[in-house]
Amino acid sequence: MRVVTGVVGNDIHVVANRLIEISLKERGFEVFNLGVNTYLEEFIDAVIETDADVLLISSLNGEAEGWSRDLLFLKSRFDLDGVLFAIGGNLSVGEATSEEIVPKYKAYGYDLVFHQVDLNTGIDTIEEVLKERA
Amino acid sequence: MNKLQIDIGSTYFKTNANGEINQHFRNFDVAIYDDLHNKCADLLANYSKEEVHICSSANGGLSTLIIGITSLFSLKYATNIAFNSGINIIDTILYSTIDKAVAPKEVIDVVIVVGGIDGVESKFDEKLINYLKNVNYQNIVYVGNKADTVFLKKQLKNLVVLPNIIGDKLQVQEEELKEYLTNLYQSDIEGKEEIKKLYEITSNQIYSTPYIVNNALPKLGTLFDVADPFLVIDVGGATTDIHYSTDLVENKNIMTSSGYDRLVFKKLGVFKSRESLVFGAKNNEFVYELLDYLGVNEHILDEHSEQATTTLMQLAIFLVLYQVSKSHNDYVTLKLEILNSIVLTGGISKVLTDEEIDKIMRFFYKKILNFTQTPNVITDRNYEIWTLGIEEIHHAN
Repeated sequence: MRVVTGVVGNDIHVVANRLIEISLKERGFEVFNLGVNTYLEEFIDAVIETDADVLLISSLNGEAEGWSRDLLFLKSRFDLDGVLFAIGGNLSVGEATSEEIVPKYKAYGYDLVFHQVDLNTGIDTIEEVLKERA
Repeated sequence: MNKLQIDIGSTYFKTNANGEINQHFRNFDVAIYDDLHNKCADLLANYSKEEVHICSSANGGLSTLIIGITSLFSLKYATNIAFNSGINIIDTILYSTIDKAVAPKEVIDVVIVVGGIDGVESKFDEKLINYLKNVNYQNIVYVGNKADTVFLKKQLKNLVVLPNIIGDKLQVQEEELKEYLTNLYQSDIEGKEEIKKLYEITSNQIYSTPYIVNNALPKLGTLFDVADPFLVIDVGGATTDIHYSTDLVENKNIMTSSGYDRLVFKKLGVFKSRESLVFGAKNNEFVYELLDYLGVNEHILDEHSEQATTTLMQLAIFLVLYQVSKSHNDYVTLKLEILNSIVLTGGISKVLTDEEIDKIMRFFYKKILNFTQTPNVITDRNYEIWTLGIEEIHHAN
C-alpha cells in the first residue's frame, strides 16, 4: 500500500511529519513523504504520480483549514476514486471539539478526519478502512 | 596560446581575440559565415582552425512539446531538464486534458512523454496515440514509468526510451534526458547549413551558448564579487535567459545536481523580439508608473531612438524580475527577497549605465517587494561569463 504524506500549507512541524513517516513504514506502507510546507496541489499530483492508496495530510493549529477548501475542486480534475483522503493533527484555530471539526473537514472532501487523535489510533483506523475496501 | 573565441548570437557576433572583445551587429541579409567574413576577415586571417572556438545560439533553439500527467512532477521536472539542456521553446500538455488540446501547427523537434514512478500501473493509452497522429514531430522520447514502455514502443515508431526522470522517492533524475536533449541540440546546431559552414574556420566543436554559460556558473565567484544565491540575467536580442541558484526557488520539489537552473523568456528581447517586449510591457500594471519614474512617457515604446533602447532594456529587467516574483504565478517563483547578487550580461551590459541599472532595481524592489535594499548588482561588461564558460569546456576536453 502506498501513502503520500506531508504537512500542508505554511507549516513547518517537521517532528510530527517524521513520526508519521516512521510509523507508516513500520506498518509496511510504502511512504512518499513530501515534507513540510507542502501545497495541496502537490499532494494531489504526488498521488497521481505514485498511484497512492492513501493521502494522509498532517497539520497543526488550524493551518489546514484555509488550504483544504480547494480539495474538492482539485479532486474533481482527476480520477481519484479509490484513494483514501485522511487528515490529522490539531485541526482547529483555537479550541474546538471533534464534533465541530470532523463534519467541516468531511465537507472539504476528506474521508477520515483525526482531530487531536493519537497517531497510532489514526493509523489503526486507516488500516481498518483499507481492509474493508479491499 | 593564440586563441580566438566567437559567439554567434541572434543579433550580434562577439569576438574575443586573446582578451580583446568586440561585437558586431549582424547583417540578416547575408549568411552568418559571409557576414562574419565581411566584418572580421583580418581577424580570422590571424588564427588557424585549431585556435578558433565558436559557440552559437543563432539556430533558434529546439522546439519541444512535453506531455505529462501532473503539473508539479512530470511536466515541471521535464521542463526544468529541457531548459537546463539549452532548449528555449517549450509547450506543455497535461495528459488529463489531452482530449481538448490542439496539436501545434509547426514542426516539433522533440516530444517528451513522462508520467508516473516505476511500479505504477499504465498511465497512457490510445488518447496519446490519437493526439500524436496530428503532431508533426522529428523525435520522440519516453521518460516515464516502466509499465507503459511496451505499449508505447509498439505504438510509436522511432520512440526513444530513457530511464524514468521521476525517481522512486519522487525525486528528479535528470542525467539521461539532459544528455539526450543536449546532444539533440548539439546535432541541430551542427546540422544547420549556416552553422555547418563555420567548420571551415574552426576544427573545434561548436557548442550552444546556453550550455557554455551554464558551465561558467559554478566558477562565477572567480570573475566577480558575487554571493550565493545569485541570479544571472542575460537580455539578448531575441530572448532573455536567466540562470539562478536553486536556493532561490519557492516551493522547491526539484534538486538538480548543478545547483543552478535556467529559464528562458522566449519573447523578451530588445531587437528580434522587440514587439512582444513592448506588448508585454504595455500589459503590465506597473508600466506607466515605471515610465513616469524613468522620466519618459509611453510614446517612447514606439520610438527607435537610443533612449528607447535604454528604456526597453530597463523594462526587460523589470519584466523578468516581475515574472519570477511572487506577484506573478508562473512556472517558477523565486525568493527575490533573499537574493544577494544579480549579474547582468548580454547586449544589455553594453548599453545600460550603472546608474540606469540601479534605478530600475530600486523601483522593482521598492514597488514589488517593498524593500529599500537592493541586491549587489554586477554588470558583465566584457562578456567574461561567456569567455570563462568557453574556456571551461575546452579545458575539460
